[in-house]
Amino acid sequence: MKLKIRLSEKLHLTPGITIMLILIAWGLFVAMVRYANGIGAVSNLNDTYSWAFWISFDLFCGVALGSGAFTMAAIIHIFEIERFKPLLRPAILTGFLGYVMVIVALLVDLGRPERIWHMIVYQNHHSVLFEIGICVMTYTTVLAIEFAPVLFEGLRLPKIAHMLHRIVIPFVILGVVLSTLHQSSLGGLLLIQRSTLHPLWWTPILPLLFFISAIVVGLGMVILESSLSSRALHRGLEISLLSELASYIPYGLGIYLLLKFADLAYFGDLHYLFSSGMMSVLFWLEIIVGAVVPIIMFSQAKIRNSANGLLIGSLFVVVGLMINRFNVSWFAVEHIRNLPLAPDFMTQTSYFPSFMEVSISVGIVAAGVLAFTLAAKYLPLFEEEEETAVHEKTSALPRIQVQSGD
Amino acid sequence: MANKNQYAMLFDATRCIDCRACMVACSVENNIPMDKTRIWVSGIGVSGQYPNLTRSTMVYHCMHCLEPDCASACPVGAWTKREDGPVVYNSEVCIGCRYCMNACPFGVPKFDWDKGIVEGPLIDKCSMCAHRIDDGLEPACVATCPTDALVFGDREELIAEAHGRIAAHPDRYVNHVYGETENGGTSYLVLSHVPFKDLGLPEGIGDEPLNTLSEQYVGNTIPVALTWATVLGAVTAGVHTYKHKNHKAESLVKETAEAAEEEIQ
Ligand code: SF4
Ligand code: SF4
Repeated sequence: MKLKIRLSEKLHLTPGITIMLILIAWGLFVAMVRYANGIGAVSNLNDTYSWAFWISFDLFCGVALGSGAFTMAAIIHIFEIERFKPLLRPAILTGFLGYVMVIVALLVDLGRPERIWHMIVYQNHHSVLFEIGICVMTYTTVLAIEFAPVLFEGLRLPKIAHMLHRIVIPFVILGVVLSTLHQSSLGGLLLIQRSTLHPLWWTPILPLLFFISAIVVGLGMVILESSLSSRALHRGLEISLLSELASYIPYGLGIYLLLKFADLAYFGDLHYLFSSGMMSVLFWLEIIVGAVVPIIMFSQAKIRNSANGLLIGSLFVVVGLMINRFNVSWFAVEHIRNLPLAPDFMTQTSYFPSFMEVSISVGIVAAGVLAFTLAAKYLPLFEEEEETAVHEKTSALPRIQVQSGD
Repeated sequence: MANKNQYAMLFDATRCIDCRACMVACSVENNIPMDKTRIWVSGIGVSGQYPNLTRSTMVYHCMHCLEPDCASACPVGAWTKREDGPVVYNSEVCIGCRYCMNACPFGVPKFDWDKGIVEGPLIDKCSMCAHRIDDGLEPACVATCPTDALVFGDREELIAEAHGRIAAHPDRYVNHVYGETENGGTSYLVLSHVPFKDLGLPEGIGDEPLNTLSEQYVGNTIPVALTWATVLGAVTAGVHTYKHKNHKAESLVKETAEAAEEEIQ
């Protein structure tokens, strides 16, 4: 009954939602074409560029940007810094939706999506991709469990929600372990490309660099997503909390820069910094946008304490990370097979993503944003609503029982 | 691995006349559609300064690495390095992720970009005609080659043969057998009169297989996961005890007070 009352908060077809629905529909249409006529029918991927836009954007960026969930879960449940609690639920939801988006995108990108379960059955224990596959599948389940209490509260089933609350710690630890593994392993995926990935990026410590940058961008995403949703949903902004999170970012990025340059120096690759043409430019772009600017911005309290400063600073962190992931998984990979005098189907060495290719990713992102908007509307996503409402209700239950037994 | 008695192929670029019979033979033998191919014969063209001009051709095969990166990378283990040399593909398990294409330093595996979900795209590459080897025959390309630019045989013997050719004509050959050590050694060996780079063979791969590091990395997964889980568990417990030590006394007082209240009621 109550469920009905809840849903009667009608969803209005605002222009924003309409646009998202159109993008989703178009993306679905393109996906149908892809399933009917093959990946080549919608994308410009080819034998030389077998991984490009989809993998860089959907997998490499998608997974990294979903890391706010494990970062916040660790801060709140493992280090018990309770004051950050209002940020937890949106972060977990973003993470969960992000991972679902990654999986949906991979089902488009895989040649044989109907065989995805083969990863579980035919395991190759030498393959980094196998490890990532298993971790992502398990972790998405863990995120669903971490998010389930919110859902049950939304459905007015506080008992189940409370029960799930109590067993959440082991899942949080599992989630952090799985995240550590697969966030690093996305870097590990490229270890095998020593001969083709540019030396400014290839290093044996790629997994470590990926892990650190994932944590930093996790914090960045929490700030960005709070800033955006507070504007879109007209909620207040937890400036003091976000500002504290932002103050951690320069440390993370500082460690990252230190490792990155120490590594380049150790392997004697420093000369590439200015001598590799476009590669040098891309490298400095990611370093300046993703690390230097955020460090400067977020080390100033004035910027950290302003809503605009938080928004812009976190945007730099996120965009910088995306440049990094695009570089490392696509732009900086040397695509061999420059065979002379070969026909088109063998030598296609150029690549630029096609409109349809990009529209699938755009459609998936639109679906994610829409799902987040709906969740924000119908579920107790933000602390004001849930913390007071449900916790008091659940903790009131035993007392009533005591009194009735009297 | 590095089984000593495995088969290999030796390609001698000085003998190749660019007739492309091997390509045709391969496509016929393996039923390859017209717009695809497993071997690519590439006329590199003329190089050098007049009057010392050389013409060269390269025949690209799968290198049949001793420690194949495609096999190491594939999440479902679709690739197998056979004891007797060929690196073969299991089309029944492949999920079409194309990681093998990325991992192979020679850019060998190819994908069916034009097949939808019904036809089911697969990866394709040279199999060293493993089915013919099982029948005691040479690969089709080798059997066809009119100049013996491609020969087939025991890997160790072919390496000896290659060094023999270099020794007999040191002026003709670059003094190196490509594939003897590259990427941990390969079962497709190349002799050349021009630098290997000019033939389009990647240099700087090194002698250590590319997958050594990533396999070490994956091998550490379980120990790292267990250690990390233990550490996190300990930290959680530690923080919890520390944070609640102070509250404990308070809540004890509260509880007894509540209990007393109930008794009174
Ligand atoms: S050349 Fe490439 S496809 Fe062939 S065995 Fe080596 S890694 Fe695999
Ligand atoms: S495309 Fe197929 S063979 Fe290649 S790595 Fe993926 S599952 Fe393995």
